[in-house]
Amino acid sequence: MASKKLRRAGVSQELCELLKRHHVESCKDLLSLTPLEVMRVAGLSYQNALTLMRSVSKHCAPPVTTLLELWKPKSESFFSTSLPALDDFLRGGLPLGTITEVAGPSGCGKTQMCVMLSVLATLPRSLGGLDAGVVYIDTESAFSAERLVEMAQARFPDHFSSRERVLQMAGRVHVFRELTCQDVLNRLDRLEVDIISTKAGLVILDSVASVVRKEFDTTLPGNLATRSNLLSQEASTLKYLAHQFNIPIVLTNQITTYLGNGAFLMLNCHVTGVATGSGAPGEVDSGFVTAALGNTWSHTVNTRLIVQYVGARQRQIVIAKSPVAPYTVLNYTIQKEGICLDGEYDGLLAPREQLDPGLQPIRVRTEFNYNLSQPVETDGDS
Amino acid sequence: MKPVSASPLSPSVKVKLLNAGFHTSEELLQLKPLQLSKEGGLSLEEALEVQQILSRGVDQPGEGGARIGLTALELLQQEERSIVTFCSQLDTALGGGIPLGRTSEVCGTPGVGKTQLCLQLCIDVQIPECFGGLGGQAVFVDTEGSLVVQRVADMAHAAVQHCSLQDHDSEQQEAMKDFTTENILDHLYLMRCHDYVELLAQVQLLPDFLVRNSKVRLLVIDSLAFPFRRHFEDLSVRTRLLNGLAQQLIQIASQHRVAVVWTNQMTSQVRSGQWELVPALGESWGHSATQRLLLHWSGTQRQASVFKSPSNTERSVPYSVTQHGFRDAPHASPGASGPPRREAPSGGLSGSKRPRMQEGQ
Repeated sequence: MASKKLRRAGVSQELCELLKRHHVESCKDLLSLTPLEVMRVAGLSYQNALTLMRSVSKHCAPPVTTLLELWKPKSESFFSTSLPALDDFLRGGLPLGTITEVAGPSGCGKTQMCVMLSVLATLPRSLGGLDAGVVYIDTESAFSAERLVEMAQARFPDHFSSRERVLQMAGRVHVFRELTCQDVLNRLDRLEVDIISTKAGLVILDSVASVVRKEFDTTLPGNLATRSNLLSQEASTLKYLAHQFNIPIVLTNQITTYLGNGAFLMLNCHVTGVATGSGAPGEVDSGFVTAALGNTWSHTVNTRLIVQYVGARQRQIVIAKSPVAPYTVLNYTIQKEGICLDGEYDGLLAPREQLDPGLQPIRVRTEFNYNLSQPVETDGDS
Repeated sequence: MKPVSASPLSPSVKVKLLNAGFHTSEELLQLKPLQLSKEGGLSLEEALEVQQILSRGVDQPGEGGARIGLTALELLQQEERSIVTFCSQLDTALGGGIPLGRTSEVCGTPGVGKTQLCLQLCIDVQIPECFGGLGGQAVFVDTEGSLVVQRVADMAHAAVQHCSLQDHDSEQQEAMKDFTTENILDHLYLMRCHDYVELLAQVQLLPDFLVRNSKVRLLVIDSLAFPFRRHFEDLSVRTRLLNGLAQQLIQIASQHRVAVVWTNQMTSQVRSGQWELVPALGESWGHSATQRLLLHWSGTQRQASVFKSPSNTERSVPYSVTQHGFRDAPHASPGASGPPRREAPSGGLSGSKRPRMQEGQ
């Protein structure tokens, strides 16, 4: 809307020609000028310049609504995660029209979560789904169609009893493999088209971190700025689309080691050395693990869910940032049917337990299972 | 052309002026008071008085430039009201709440509660006057898409409950009939801006909107930083646009008697080899708001610091965000309830979050 030509904003032909000579062609160009500059380039009096700016503003300004008009029943403003306890805390699921991030160490279930949400989105509304397609942007080549089918059949055996329904479901999940930053950006540019053509009700980007972290060495000068520019461009596109189509957008993020004395050290893999199980990551002097991509990025996600390890099989979902939910910890395991919460959830932790979500320590798996008699879950995430 | 000898001045002043060679009142009015007092051998007060007396006959009344400013006493008597935050300690620190007619900036790390504070203000501004509120309306400009209607409805419901517990007289009971969750949502105008051009356009139109909806007492922009943190290759353009925007917002605040609150993000910056968190948009942006509030974590406790204010001293107070909204911290005296079980990730970090105002920047 910003690049809207002045001619379409009700500015007379004559004035357009005049402004064009000063390289003022779009609403964006005009509104970036001060009234005095408008007076000069358009040859108008101060009052007329103000009137011109106001009438152009009217063509670009978004409409005003009251919240009452937007207040809809829960089922129309949230996407159920089919995990009752999580839905309870999130007041019905992932809020439509906003960005949800799932952050966590590798192999902890981020991709599993995404695959599960894909299945849910294709379900008919009577089963709590969105009855819509899914755009799945996969930057890690981690998506597995077999897993999708397996999870669908295990989770909803009644609904997916016939082969036809399974195929129909699988046909609605559109996977795009984009392995470089430029590819991801191009995909996001076309996302609007993709959403319309696939009738998508859910967009997944798994993962937002992997490509940017591969391509940008943040120790080089200037790279960090370029990276955060790129990220905020992505974020802005996603936010715009989420709001326009009123769909949830789910991103996954990796983890990084945060050194206590104020220095960031980015480690792509082999994150070790943080005490687990003791429940006191803050005691470790050497630093701790937290969601990647830095502070500015954390501002752009509306809801942040953190998945982390407790033991070899036991994992936790932490609602670290949410406009509706308090800080919450829920235990889950990964089963054939996807993510399953443990029967009784931990309940609320006292609010004072909460830490800055931008710096929320994440527990990673330190003791890999050397004892091979007890097989370890290896998920398609790593 | 009025001769000095015929003007209504005291004889001694007239003599001095005539001796100094002034013959007509125009000659006297061409000078500034300081010059006049030197050349005419008058005291400053006399010179000013001379000019005031003479200009009464000459000047057209109602000239913009000749308007006399208000004294602090007059301002004090006008007594601007404030919007309460529902966190009594923060209200105290702010001298009663967020003041009308002023601009305030709320900075803070992600998830610390900036949006929650803004939403709470949007609801609190609507509390009926008989409950000590303002009975106003609010405009929420959302650039980040972080407004969830369900959350506002919950907070509004909590505020309605809170007031309904206190309705003692018939006037208050009458007011409660209109103070409902539906009405609160109906009186909260939402503008969703996707980029900075839309934001600029919206701010251009706001004065008109505020004239049409004269009950609006609060304007929130959440956040001002997000649309301005990308797309700018030339930072000087950004600075200029931001300064223009700040100017417009200050005008809106004072002309329409609304409180203007915007949120700002935090960014990491290297300073003398150390990373620290500072409010985004640069150091000079810090001058824009009359009042700045920093929300941050101190260990497991959320804290609000007033770090720029013309009328209140710098201090930090604890607060919490509950199911019902922005509230007092559960323990009124932090520290008295024993040390928190988990310490902050590191002492150095929480220390560095307090942005340091460095001179010369």
